[in-house]
Formats: sequence, structure tokens, C-alpha cells
Amino acid sequence: MVQRGIRSGHLRLVTRKQARDIHMSSIEVLESVGMDCPSGKIMKVFDDAGADVDFKEKRVRIPQHLVEESLKKAPKEIVFCGRNPKHDILLEDSRVYFGMGGTPVPYVRDIDSGEMRRPTKKDVDEATRLGDALPNMKFIMTIAGAYDVPYQAEYVHEFESLFNNTEKPILYSCPGAFAAKKVLEMAAAIVGGADQLKRRPIIALYTETVSPLAFSDVNENMIEFAKAGVPVANGPMPMCGASGPMTLAGTAVQSNAENLAALTLCQLVSPHAPNIYTDWVCIMDPRTGRCAYGAPEFAMGTSVFSAAMGRYYGLPTYGFGGCSDSKLPDAQAGAEVMMNGMVAALSGVNLIHDCGYLAGGSIGSMEMAVICNEIAGMITRIVSGVRIDDETLAVDVIKNVGPGGHFMSQKHTLEHVRTELRLAALFDRTSEVTWMKAGKRDIRDVARSKCKEILREHRPEPLPEDVRLRLGEIVKEAEKELVRPS
Amino acid sequence: MLMSQEAAYQDIVDAVLNFDSEKLSRTVKNALDLDEDPVKIIEQGLTKALRIVGKKFEDGEFFIMDLVAAAEPVQKVTKEVLEPEILRRKAKRTTLGRIVLGTVAGDIHDIGKNIVGAMWFAAGFEIFDLGKDVSTGQFVDKTKEVNASIIGASALLSTSLPMQSEIVKATVVAGLRDRVKLMFGGAPVTEEWTKEIGGDGYAEDAVQAVKVAKELLGIEA
Repeated sequence: MVQRGIRSGHLRLVTRKQARDIHMSSIEVLESVGMDCPSGKIMKVFDDAGADVDFKEKRVRIPQHLVEESLKKAPKEIVFCGRNPKHDILLEDSRVYFGMGGTPVPYVRDIDSGEMRRPTKKDVDEATRLGDALPNMKFIMTIAGAYDVPYQAEYVHEFESLFNNTEKPILYSCPGAFAAKKVLEMAAAIVGGADQLKRRPIIALYTETVSPLAFSDVNENMIEFAKAGVPVANGPMPMCGASGPMTLAGTAVQSNAENLAALTLCQLVSPHAPNIYTDWVCIMDPRTGRCAYGAPEFAMGTSVFSAAMGRYYGLPTYGFGGCSDSKLPDAQAGAEVMMNGMVAALSGVNLIHDCGYLAGGSIGSMEMAVICNEIAGMITRIVSGVRIDDETLAVDVIKNVGPGGHFMSQKHTLEHVRTELRLAALFDRTSEVTWMKAGKRDIRDVARSKCKEILREHRPEPLPEDVRLRLGEIVKEAEKELVRPS
Repeated sequence: MLMSQEAAYQDIVDAVLNFDSEKLSRTVKNALDLDEDPVKIIEQGLTKALRIVGKKFEDGEFFIMDLVAAAEPVQKVTKEVLEPEILRRKAKRTTLGRIVLGTVAGDIHDIGKNIVGAMWFAAGFEIFDLGKDVSTGQFVDKTKEVNASIIGASALLSTSLPMQSEIVKATVVAGLRDRVKLMFGGAPVTEEWTKEIGGDGYAEDAVQAVKVAKELLGIEA
């Protein structure tokens, strides 16, 4: 059965008129400036469709009609599938789902020592298994990275790791056309062929144009995914004042232009191919130059515009939440994660990713992912709102109990106590005395124990042996092609 | 220094600190009209101004945007006005050393790299900026060609990070390793990573990069 996430969209900082202003501004940018395009393949797609392509200058200028026609063709809902159908999620409107991690991180916080270290493929396995077990993580990316395999084939290895360790939908990257084909081959091997993969996409591609306004060769992966009818999410991360204008709105215009260009590319390659829309506006801390994932403007920039423009276009959307600039799963991390997760969920972006990211995406932390899972649960409760009707107004119950009584044994209480409240699954609500007796444990320590327990006990349904072996073979074939002596 | 000379240099410094490209160009030409030495204009006008900019950045008063906004006009006026003038006069600018700079192969993120280049230039290094998506071979060839003392290589992606390690290996193979210092930067790069791959220097930001480069070459700050 398809999971239908809670509908949200309560937080609306962009009006429909303003969304139109952003849209029209992006159209103007695409028509007059266009996108740089080093890829001959991508230029050809636009040229065949009648766009203004300058092959010498390697620039693609995209007329409004091509964009508008593409927007019409793109599906307005996507069922993003798990390899186990019980994990399928419906992407449409303002339904929200939190997801584990993002693209690979250069460091992980070691679960035993608490020290920062270089991750390995085994860490990707474990992080994926953790995400598979965490109930509020509805789709899976990573909070590790396979740094112990040849770097040219890193993403293919990571996909293998993801496939083997989760039954949930996988959103991930694989740069370039060749790696994309190999990953699609792996996914097809799991679901029983390319046709079946189109029907039940268990993966979606996350790729990035390069801000400002440039396709790169790696974006040829979009062509392969569009051809296969498997969802594509283009998510460039322009930073205000560096790779985009200093104002949030200005960078939203540019980011939207890049995403409309990517969506148009996909629709030209394969009409009605599924696209997941983003309009991300990121923040560069002007003192450090780092992308500030914990900034309030980052929370607004990455989710508010994606949700608003996604609503304007009627497309499934993708945003950020669960990420922090702190290096530890500490108070800063908790505050930032609650803020960006809440803003994302209240805005109503469908896919909220990066849970477990610390240090602005430089450190992956399994403890933090477990904490994010708890926070996602709290946020989901708030987004689901308050039920107000005769039953919940409970006037008869109030009359029955009357002054001075209590409600503990009321049938109404017993009927509602399990549905009205979202209980803490990880956070501590015990008394200080109980807490002291239990060893005065910090939440980080509790989260670490939880991670270890999950890693000890949770095993997703393994892939059939022949499929698992086939994936291994595909990775080997890919590696042979990708790792060439220079 | 005469009053008029002093005023001319102060005007140059003010123009840089006000991010006023037009005024900078005008004040530099004005100094040349007063028959000031172009080498001296660089050293006592432009470099002095950029040192103030660097200090303000370190103090938290200036942002990264301010660094770039100050450095770009300085590079422009040097290239377009002062360097041709130095050539014409057959004068010579002694620099702190030559640095070959670029973003590694497979990576086209170059904003950070450009900022570092500007600050190195400001500090008195001669910069050979190879741009972005620079192959390991290009780094090595240019280093040989100009006899550079430092290679600065930037990477932003986890997949392009290993190219920094390839640069270390390539300089060994080319027999350059003992005469060129290797500095690495980029968001995922750390001091540990730089050590791990056998590099020489890492800096958190462009201002630090100047200090590290000087240290590596044994130049007093």
C-alpha cells in the first residue's frame, strides 16, 4: 500500500503572484542569457527542439514556449517506490516525507570513538541499514561515503550498498551518462527489467547543474534517467552573494531557471518523464565562505521557494531538513535541525533530505540521524494539526466529569490517549530522579546506544542471491570502464 | 615622500578600500603621471591596501565578498596598467615566488580558488592561474615551465578530492616534489587530508593561505 504523507503547506511566505514573478523572471533569464552547456549531447537535444543554441559559444537559450510545454508534460504526481512496496511513498501536493542523509560526506563521526574519520563502504552499508530501520526516514540517501573504493566508481559502489541495505526508496547521485546507465541496470535487475522499473521506480536521480547557469557533462545522467522514465531531481545549490545574487528572491530566480532548464531537457528527451522539482537558495556564510546549512535563510531558501514554486507548477518537490553546521550532535545541531525540518515540513516540500548531516554536510553522524528521526516525528505531529469536531470538543465528557473530578478513567480518554499524543521515542521525559538513577545519560549517548542496537538487530530483507551477485558484477563492469589509467 | 606623492598613494589605498575600480584606475594613472615607479605603486599602494583588507577580514569587519571586491580591481589595474608599464620601462618586480593555481580535474568550482589567488597576488606572489577542471599533467607542465615554488590545487567534490593526491604523485614522478610545495584547499579539504596525501600546506581561508604560503617558502610575515 502506498504511504500517503501528511499534507502540509501551512507556511506560505510566497504568494501566487510572487511565484508568477519568480517564474517570469526565470523565463527572461533563460531566454536572454540561457545556460552554458559543454555537453554536445545536451546541446543537441535543445537544438533539435528549436531552442537558440550557439554551438561555438556552447550556450543554450531556451524560449518560453519550450519551458511551458515541458511544465505541462511533467507528471504532477510520482509514486516513489521501495523495493518492498510497503515503503512506496506518494509525491504530490504538499505531502511531506523526511529522508536519511544526502550525497556522500568526506567524514563520519565514528560511533565508537566519537572521532571524525574518513568513511568506507562499510559505513555506507551501516548508515543505510540504520535509515532502513528508522521509521520516520521514508527515503534513503547517505551520511557516509565509500572512500575505500576507486573514486571514479564511488557512486556505483554506493548505489550497490544502498540497494543491499534498504527496502525503502533511494534518491541518489551518479555523475555522467555511463554511471547512470549502470545504476539503471542495477535497479532494473532488482525489479525485474527496465519496463518494470519505469512502472515502479525504486530510485530517483539527484543531480546538480552548476550555478550560475551551467550544465556540465555529468548532467548527461539526466538524459539516461529521463529515457528510462525514472525520476530526476535537479538540485543546484547556488549560494547568495557567491554563485547567485545576494538576495534570496534573486537566487530563487536563478535556481528556478536552472531547474526549468533541467526539466525542459528531461521532457524533450522523453515527454512525460517524471521530474522532482527544487528551487534551492543556499547561504554562504560571508565570514567563512562555507555553505551554512543551519542558517535561518537556508531553511527558508531551500524549502519555502521549492514548496511555493512546486505548488505553482503542480510538481513534486524536494527540500532540506535535518542538517546542521555544528560538528557534534549537540544543542546547536538540535536547534538547527528542528528549525530547518519544521520550516521544510510546514512549507510542504515532499522530500525533506539531509537528516544526519553535520558540519554543513562534511560530517555524517548516525547518532544525529537517530535524533533527527525523533525530531521528524515531533514535526510530523505538529504538521498533522489539531482535530476539532464534536468528538474532540468533548463537551459531554466535561459535563460528565464536572468540577473537581478527573478524566483518567473516562472512556473518551482511553479512546484518544493513543492517537492524540505523539510519545517521545528517544527523548527523555522522565523525572530527574529517574534520570539520575539511570546513569545521567546525555541524549547523544542514548542515541549512540540506539544506533548500536539497530545495527545489531536490524536486517532488511536481503536481495535474492542471484540479484545480489548480478549487482556485484555490474559494479565490476562499471569499475573497469570508469577506472582507466590516465 | 612629497606631500603630493603621499596623497597619491593614499588615494590608491582609499580607492581599494572603497571597492572603487574606476577611482583606482584613475589614481594609479595619476601616480604614474607624477612619475612614480610602477613597482613602487604595486608595493606601497596596492599591496598595502590589500593587507589592510586582509586585516579587516581577519577582524571580522570585512566579509569574503569584500575581499573579492577589493582584490579584483587591484588585479585588473595591475594587469592592464602597471605590468605593461613595468615592461615598457624594462623594470623588474621582485615577487615572493611563483604559484601555479587551479581547480582539479573533474571539478569546475572556482570561486574559492579565485579568492585565494587574489590574496596571494596581493601578498606579492606571481600567480599562474590555470582555471578550472585542470588536469594533473597541466599542473606539472606549468610548474616546470615557470619554475614555480608552489602548486595550489582546489577541490570541492568528494569525487574530485582524490585528484589532489594524484598531483602529489605526479610531482614525484616528474622529479619536482623536492622543489615545489603543494597547497590544497576546498570545502571538504582539511589539514589531516593534506597530510594524509603527502601535501605541504592547508589553510582554512584565503588570508590564512597567504601566511601558510609564506611559511612554506621561509618568508618572514
